[in-house]
Amino acid sequence: MAKTLEFKGIGKSYPGVRALDDINFKAEGGKVLALLGENGAGKSTLLKILSGDQQASEGEIYLDGQATAFHSPHDAQNAGISVIYQERQLMPSLSVMENLFAGALPRKGFLVDKKALFDETAKIIREFGLDIRPDEIVGRLSIANQQMVEIMKAYRRDSDIIAYDEPTAPLSEKEIELMFRVIEKQKAAGKAIIYVSHRMNEIFRITDEIVVLKDGKQVTTLQTKETAEGELIKAMVGRDIGDTYANLRRNTPREEVVLEVKNLCTPKVKNVSFKIHKGEIVGLAGLVGAGRTEVARAIFAADPISSGEILMEGKPVHFHTPREAIDAGIALCPEDRKEQGLVMYRSISDNVAMPVVSYMKKGLGFVDKSVATDLAEKAVTTYAIKTPSVFKIVAELSGGNQQKVILGRWTSEKVTTKLLILDEPTKGIDVGTKAEIYQKVCDLASQGIAVLFISSELTEVINLADTIYVMRGGSITGSMKREDATEENVLTYAMADFVDGGKEGTA
Amino acid sequence: MKQSFFQKHIKPLIQHKVFTLVLLYIAMVIIFTVWAALRGTSFLKITIFRNILNSLVISSFLTIGAGCLLIAGHMDLSQAAIGAFGSMVLATAIKAWGFPWYLAIIAALALCAVFGAVNAFFVTKLKFPSFIGTLAMASMVKGLMYLFSSMGNDGVAANINFTNKTTAFLGTGSVAGIPLSVIIMVVFFIVYGLLMSKSAFGMKVTLMGGSPVAATLAGINATAITFILFINSAVLGGVAGVFNAAKLSQGALTALTTNQFTGITAAILGGISFGGGAGGMGGAFVGLLILNTFQVGMGIVGVNPFWVNVFSGLLLLIALAFDFLSQQRQKRALAH
Repeated sequence: MAKTLEFKGIGKSYPGVRALDDINFKAEGGKVLALLGENGAGKSTLLKILSGDQQASEGEIYLDGQATAFHSPHDAQNAGISVIYQERQLMPSLSVMENLFAGALPRKGFLVDKKALFDETAKIIREFGLDIRPDEIVGRLSIANQQMVEIMKAYRRDSDIIAYDEPTAPLSEKEIELMFRVIEKQKAAGKAIIYVSHRMNEIFRITDEIVVLKDGKQVTTLQTKETAEGELIKAMVGRDIGDTYANLRRNTPREEVVLEVKNLCTPKVKNVSFKIHKGEIVGLAGLVGAGRTEVARAIFAADPISSGEILMEGKPVHFHTPREAIDAGIALCPEDRKEQGLVMYRSISDNVAMPVVSYMKKGLGFVDKSVATDLAEKAVTTYAIKTPSVFKIVAELSGGNQQKVILGRWTSEKVTTKLLILDEPTKGIDVGTKAEIYQKVCDLASQGIAVLFISSELTEVINLADTIYVMRGGSITGSMKREDATEENVLTYAMADFVDGGKEGTA
Repeated sequence: MKQSFFQKHIKPLIQHKVFTLVLLYIAMVIIFTVWAALRGTSFLKITIFRNILNSLVISSFLTIGAGCLLIAGHMDLSQAAIGAFGSMVLATAIKAWGFPWYLAIIAALALCAVFGAVNAFFVTKLKFPSFIGTLAMASMVKGLMYLFSSMGNDGVAANINFTNKTTAFLGTGSVAGIPLSVIIMVVFFIVYGLLMSKSAFGMKVTLMGGSPVAATLAGINATAITFILFINSAVLGGVAGVFNAAKLSQGALTALTTNQFTGITAAILGGISFGGGAGGMGGAFVGLLILNTFQVGMGIVGVNPFWVNVFSGLLLLIALAFDFLSQQRQKRALAH
């Protein structure tokens, strides 16, 4: 029962904004169609129209050749369409099984058939190859597993058309692999898959056809097999950015040690030791949940340390609050930009000035807001932040520009950052902006800043970092120089346990 | 690009929340004036506005304390109970312990500060939602106050009368025809207004209200600020209690019971968002003015006082609805 979904001349206008213009594509059963484009290219709007969340201003949607209109998400679901959004739409206080079967609970008379519910869910979890229990509370699962629950929800509905909106952002290699197997299974069952992602290797790995969007317009439609990566990036960015990593202007690390961590232990980190030199970029690779974020938070005094020693420029330090860490020259760009990095409904200027508010005094102890404006304007120039004004609320910026605001905060002339910790700095950011951020990170290293670069994207870590440490289960399991790093050897250190475990799980 | 005078100065003024509130207030005054005239009385009189200002004083200290906390994303439901205890301590200190007036005030406020610190401890260390922690605190403080007032007596002393010239002047005296307590209130509003809108501390409070986690990770010590704000709120509760006692020359167990609602309502009415991260003292003052003028005006035109309470509640609902709608609009504007 292969279904086809066709978008013909779809356009969408918001007051003052043309979000989509004349989009045409066809998703067919048994095929994976990729939607590719930079942030703001219109992918999310397109998905919202597909899910019935919003209505197109013009154009038609055809299901199996018949014109259809979705007035609500309910309509779209009834027509056999499931959209898996980046922002998970789960009920965190309910169990996995209740989340999966919400709205379709198996019944025994008036009551819910708990046993059937449990067994059905267990079956799906097995098919996915995951290691979670059906009655586990969703809110207590790791972010990666929550994402997998979201995907299972769509799988359970057995929809004919399934759209994935950047599903791999919170996932590590292991779950990505599991998810790809599910997608291949769905494809073999004749489902039409729409796959939205920034990640080139994923696009090439599982998709058949690629629709490239830019500024709300459809740039081109390509057959994956006949397309080279450079060609695709060029279509997406609108210019040739060449080989991202080869073109980086790099810097050689210096002799002086900025940070040394000795036998660091926290409830989730075991005996972690490493050094970062002036001007060095140290990569921290590993799977999601390997303890990398926890190491960063412990250094920054955001979490308490059980034992171990931290030395800044050779001297032992004991920070009690992030403030003390900041004053000693440490800066943290957290993984969760929206929740932990920024105050979303405040201006760029306020967000840049956050750590230095106390140093912006003028007479009578009043705060001198022009200092904040100055710092923010410099950040906008240095990082090419796209905004009409520094007074714009950061929630209105794209993900890439938001990340640049945080970078601007830690590299303003009012703070003396010696160690910059970047936790997943390119998560959800498009290729063009990523390249800009890589160059900025290299520039900062050239200025003598030591960088701790945490990333789940292997290509990124092994190409950017001078030294790479791999973590697994809270410990460092291996380290290597960039010259020796390959995706294979990083993965070996990162998931040796899981590879074995996976074999048992599928038996 | 150069901005025109209109864009730079007039437009932000019109778009400011306080501007809308002032318009609302003027409309209200006009309605009451006309309504009162139709009823054969008059509303637009100096004495009436003097009375309105006088009646604001006690709630205003609660509003300031509650407002600062609301901006930071917290709430304090124990202010009134703490303040009442403060008024009892003041009265007892002057009457039974023979303290001079200033030491009595210091003793009362110091006790309030301790309660405030305990509130902050509940919220920051034990991670209670602030309205639950302070609700529990309100009950505990009331109990302790009854125990305190029954000390050395056979039963509970509901009211403690005392005489002191200075406190009487503080509560009822006038300077150049203006009640001293009103002058002090205005000074408090100006000082806190400047503190919240112009000082580094105020900026930190607002940023913390927007996102406590992000603020902490950017070097703003949210725990310390929360402590300061809860202590501040409790001490201002104490100040309200002190003025209440000074006006009546009496410490009372039931002091401030009606002021708690007014205090928080005015802050919300004044545009201080429930979610934190927005609002200021100017709005809170106008909010308080609206609420009290409304109550006094309703009295003058002869509306049944029980209905006045119903309408005050409706006013709060409307304020909350506006707050909710403007947040929704903000979110929707960002949705695409």
